[in-house]
Amino acid sequence: MIQALRRELSIYKAIAGMAAKTRLAYNMWVWADFVVTIVSMIVFVYFWRAVYANTSTLSGLSLSQTITYILLARLLSPLVETRTIFFFGFMIRQGQIAVELTRPLDMQLRIMTESFAELLVFLVQRLPLFLIAWLFFGMQLPSDPALWGAFFISLVLGQIVLFLFDWMFACLAFYVTETWGLSVVRVAAGSFFSGAIVPLMMMPSWLQKLAAGLPFAQAMAVPVSFLSGISTAADAPHIWLIQITWLLVLLVLSRIVFGIAVRKVTVQGG
Amino acid sequence: MTRYLELYWYFLIQRFKILMEYRLNFFIGATSTAILQAASLTAIWVVMRQIPSLNGWNFYEVILVYGLLTMGESITHMFADNLWTVGWNYVRSGDFDRFLVRPIDPLFHLLADRFCHDGIGNLITGALLVGVSMQQLGIAFSLQHIVYIIISVLSGGVIFIALNLITATSVFWIMESIPVTQMVFTMNEFAKYPLSIYHSSIRILLTWIIPYGFVSFYPASYLLGRDVGALVWLSPLVALVFIFMAYRIWLFGLRHYSSTGS
Repeated sequence: MIQALRRELSIYKAIAGMAAKTRLAYNMWVWADFVVTIVSMIVFVYFWRAVYANTSTLSGLSLSQTITYILLARLLSPLVETRTIFFFGFMIRQGQIAVELTRPLDMQLRIMTESFAELLVFLVQRLPLFLIAWLFFGMQLPSDPALWGAFFISLVLGQIVLFLFDWMFACLAFYVTETWGLSVVRVAAGSFFSGAIVPLMMMPSWLQKLAAGLPFAQAMAVPVSFLSGISTAADAPHIWLIQITWLLVLLVLSRIVFGIAVRKVTVQGG
Repeated sequence: MTRYLELYWYFLIQRFKILMEYRLNFFIGATSTAILQAASLTAIWVVMRQIPSLNGWNFYEVILVYGLLTMGESITHMFADNLWTVGWNYVRSGDFDRFLVRPIDPLFHLLADRFCHDGIGNLITGALLVGVSMQQLGIAFSLQHIVYIIISVLSGGVIFIALNLITATSVFWIMESIPVTQMVFTMNEFAKYPLSIYHSSIRILLTWIIPYGFVSFYPASYLLGRDVGALVWLSPLVALVFIFMAYRIWLFGLRHYSSTGS
């Protein structure tokens, strides 16, 4: 009797232990993201301080403008990464794509809604990091509400532009199975040409032209410029117009490309 | 020892047979990390072409530091990538039990189980960076320098592996080790640039506690003839001390392993 009870207890003890472990591991993920971001902010702050050691402005930017820009870019950098291509690769491998296509919802709109909800949660989760950057690393944010409004609108527009571009890019998963390598190439191009590592205005003009011809900057450098004293509120309508043009063109293109690529679908099993 | 080398060779051949089944994937994987490096390097170039030096280090001197770190990192990427995946690929699935019943060291089996080709791109990139910067800076390609670089890169690789091994041990308590490993691994970001640009506390941290400084900064200082004292000779010793510690910690963790079953 006591033996049986003891055995029973040990089972539940193991279950409780496992739940605690899972929870602990989840918390560790959040902490890891904090540590990684803080380390990258420290590296960038010291790097740029050393860069500005013998000069007060670089390509028209002061040290404090550059630091503010770079810290914001670090904090928002996951926004120019992408999971769309992994998702496509997964759907195609598992055969899930067939189910997705038969749903009575627009697939693109549905996935965009999902990724925007994730984006919102992500930004809220990162608020403590924004606070740390502001308190300890010299990030100087504007107090003008017009600039904040311009920033948020341009951030949303830019994220839609990037989503639509990634939608087209992810269509490569219908042709190539190595989605990890493709995503690395996309992240490399995205973080460089979005201005997430170096402010675009510091680049030589041929690189600036290349960056302007790619959609990445719309999701990072363009919105962040409002908060780092590079763009003014008066620039906003012009900037939004450019972003809306990008958005409309990519909306049409992404739907055409998907329509063609989906005919190539080869489900590998599942 | 020779038995383990033979075994490793055997594992490696099997692994390449798998990799060669998907040649395009192999090629994309091996080159993609090089493309990621290209983005960071272009960024350094963009900034440094406008300033004479970064705290007294010119462009090619910074590239030498960066290249040595990339080479050291590529060693762990190629030969010890399973320290990242031990949680979700082996422990959680119960596959780890397989290693414990075989007549070889479980850690050896874990590492030999998967050679990771993605590190090849980094090794080549790093070697090119070191070569080009040495040529541009007029550092002789003498036998002494080449032996020094090979020993430094190997020691650097061992330091990377040791730190990943220490942190991977957390898998025996929380079933997943990537977040813990990530927290320590990310410190190598500091060592991509000369440690002299940071506050002295960061330099001490990267020298004595999380010694990524010995992968890049100290060897580069030696090659450039900068005076940082006896530290330029310490890389192999630091590597040995850390890998010894790491193995003891791993064995301690292994005793706490309880299978997930399934």
